[in-house]
Amino acid sequence: MIEIKDLHKSYRMGSNSLHVLKGINFKAEDGELVAIMGSSGSGKSTLLNILGMLDVADSGEYTLDDVPIKDLSETKAAQYRNKFLGFIFQSFNLINYKSALENVALPLYYQKVGRKERQEKALSYLEKVGLKEWATHLPSELSGGQKQRVAIARAMAAEPKVLLADEPTGALDSTTSYEVMDLIQKINDEGNTILVVTHEEDIAHMCKRIVHLKDGVIVEDKKIEQVRAQQYV
Amino acid sequence: MFDRDIWQEIFHTLKNNKLRTFLTGFSVGWAIFILVMLLASVNGMQNGFTSQFNDDATNSIFVRPGTTSKAYGGFEAGRRIQLKNDDFDYIKSSFPKDIEYISARYYSRTTARYQSETGSYGVQGVHPDHQIIEKTLITKGRFLNEADVINKAKVAVLGRKVAEDLFKDEDPLGKFAEFNGLPFRVIGIFTDEGDDNAERIIYAPVSTYQRIYGNTNDISQVLLTYNPTYDLTKALEFSGRLEDLMKRRHKVSPEDQAGIYVWNYAEAFDDISSFSAVLNAISIGVGFLILIAGIVGIGNIMVFTIKERTKEIGVRKALGAQPKQIINLVLLESTFITAISGFIGLIFAWVILSVIGPTINTPAFTNPSVSLSTVITATIILIVAGVLAGLIPAIKAANVKPIVALSDK
Repeated sequence: MIEIKDLHKSYRMGSNSLHVLKGINFKAEDGELVAIMGSSGSGKSTLLNILGMLDVADSGEYTLDDVPIKDLSETKAAQYRNKFLGFIFQSFNLINYKSALENVALPLYYQKVGRKERQEKALSYLEKVGLKEWATHLPSELSGGQKQRVAIARAMAAEPKVLLADEPTGALDSTTSYEVMDLIQKINDEGNTILVVTHEEDIAHMCKRIVHLKDGVIVEDKKIEQVRAQQYV
Repeated sequence: MFDRDIWQEIFHTLKNNKLRTFLTGFSVGWAIFILVMLLASVNGMQNGFTSQFNDDATNSIFVRPGTTSKAYGGFEAGRRIQLKNDDFDYIKSSFPKDIEYISARYYSRTTARYQSETGSYGVQGVHPDHQIIEKTLITKGRFLNEADVINKAKVAVLGRKVAEDLFKDEDPLGKFAEFNGLPFRVIGIFTDEGDDNAERIIYAPVSTYQRIYGNTNDISQVLLTYNPTYDLTKALEFSGRLEDLMKRRHKVSPEDQAGIYVWNYAEAFDDISSFSAVLNAISIGVGFLILIAGIVGIGNIMVFTIKERTKEIGVRKALGAQPKQIINLVLLESTFITAISGFIGLIFAWVILSVIGPTINTPAFTNPSVSLSTVITATIILIVAGVLAGLIPAIKAANVKPIVALSDK
């Protein structure tokens, strides 16, 4: 599903160049749930941005679902993001003047799905995350956990190949965190490929594989026994 | 563009930022209001000028003989030129396409008497067309007609003052007044907007007067109006041709300004129209400058809005919004504010003009109003302005890097 080879990325900081990713090789199969761990500055967010086509690597190859991701125009990148990827952010990034339903329907709007179908689909995803009754509420009327669940529904609405979650539980307390992880696990159980960037050990252990990043290289890549979040909820 | 979702978003933003929307809209609405009012004022002044000259037909030309100031064609300078009936016929037949109405004028004076009342008045021997050229208003009876001229009928049309002086309270129509002892039947009374003196004259058929008082073919002037479809250039070109012809006919040097005068009303109008054209240009200029201030205001606010919504735009891009969709959103929003507020300004100005306009009627300023074409132009300007105002912010928005927008730092 995802394959990257010898990925390099450096940022220019004034006269200095900061080498963030120093040759990453990584492969994720269909249906995997991978945790990308690392301390701050290890390059995990940069890696996720490149995977999410929000940033471009300096060198190396990136293939997503057998499509080479290279030299994309803004428009093409937007289309690929819409078609291939679903984003889940630490700070939810819901559009605050749109209702939960409208937020979920937004990626479908950019897919040019008709209004009625869009709303039906969005509602079914909201139902899936257990927020059907909250469809007409604005994000400001939802709790943190609810917001993240709306965000997850939004990420899934476009039926992407891969879900990219950047610290999805970073802004939540532990009980809510487990609820969100439980949801992510369930989505993964249905066969969706999910990458989770986190620095929390317990969250990482709820995935099926942990990739450890340190100073721009992968230092460890192991499959683990998944801890189900269900038991903590 | 007619996507319901885009409009929904625009209304959302505007509703959530009422004060901002109002302030931005106000600057554009105000600009359009001033632009329209300025144009209407110029229009009012133009109307004022025009009505001042309305006493005579605005497309009239006078041909008047004078005394030559240059020796020419074997004649000494200082020769008096006299127009004759032939000249009248000649002009009439030479320019059938150019001339609308034409009349000769033969000046005379008479002592008029009715019963015990007498008075001395100017008499003008004229053709029937004279009524239209001079815009003479008949209040009673009729003006002279062709039959009167052909039959050399002893009929007269009296000015309102003349009728008052001679006939007092009596109805003069059909009565006979004596002009230098000869009885003339009164066939009509006229008024003139000019002044009282213009109503102290008597019109009689030119042929009658030429026969009775001097048995002459002389005429004092030729008055005519040119084809009303002519524009200024064509009118001036025609009076030029007429002048050349008359000078050649009377052997007056083409350079001689005194031998024959051909006075074209269009020349006076030329000055006025160029004056109001300058005024028009100035007011359009001022209006535009104010409008530019309004556009910059909207652009400014839009830039601010984009900054405020950077994160949202980043999210949209992450969700698959294409740059052109973002540009669309911003442009449509700015065009919408501009157009709506501009229309409000336009309607406001229009209402004020249609309420107050018709009541204003001073010599220099009459019925200020705007034409449909002005309104349409203003509308087009508004939409263009809205697009311009939104363009830079829209490009800025399209260039928002989602990664920067989404960083939580």
